[in-house]
Amino acid sequence: MSEPFRRVPEGISIDLPDPLRTWLAEQARAAATDAVQMEHPVHRRLLGPIDPSQDHDDPVTELQRQFGVEGSLGVLIETAHESLLSEVQAEEWIRALQLILAATAARLAITDEETLSRLSEENAEIVTTLQAGISLMIDALDA
Amino acid sequence: MTQGDTDLITESDQRLDIPWEVVLWNDPVSLISLVVRVLRALFSYDLAKAERLTMQVHNEGKSIVWSGDKEQAAAYCVALHGYALSATIQQSQ
Repeated sequence: MSEPFRRVPEGISIDLPDPLRTWLAEQARAAATDAVQMEHPVHRRLLGPIDPSQDHDDPVTELQRQFGVEGSLGVLIETAHESLLSEVQAEEWIRALQLILAATAARLAITDEETLSRLSEENAEIVTTLQAGISLMIDALDA
Repeated sequence: MTQGDTDLITESDQRLDIPWEVVLWNDPVSLISLVVRVLRALFSYDLAKAERLTMQVHNEGKSIVWSGDKEQAAAYCVALHGYALSATIQQSQ
């Protein structure tokens, strides 16, 4: 397979297999759904209060953060099957991939290097796939 | 300010002058390269400073990556959360 993300004059080209694109969009939808469920570990990980001495953020900050999460994940969902991204969309992909990675870590209760090392082969592959995607997108954007 | 005014300052008033800190916490899945990139973009840190702070997070579990007024600290913290990085704000001890 050629480079999955590549800088071209028009932006960032994407060359990913369709099943992987579909899987990414599904993961983004799942992260967005779990993020708004107050008791879900994904909510606590992505939208927990920025000041730990408070139970929750002020309403403006709360909404700002929720819109940010939904916005980044939404861009990935909407553009998952595109062949070309603008630089702004590509940066949103990095945010979205990070959000999906953090949501995955929350669901799998990955809290430290030890829990990370004890993952099943399947779950470890999910984590490394997302990390590789982030790394490759950074390389493409910064090229 | 006169000496008499000083007597009227309460403990909570004094804490208004204490800076707020943005604390970045280690997480086992975020890539070092991603953290360095975000710190450089968000705070305009040079590569050496961004790498030093990132390695402090990685090795010591956390790092104070910025300090200043509360509103700006909160804005930076929200921006770090936009990249799903674990960050909190606290008032300096």
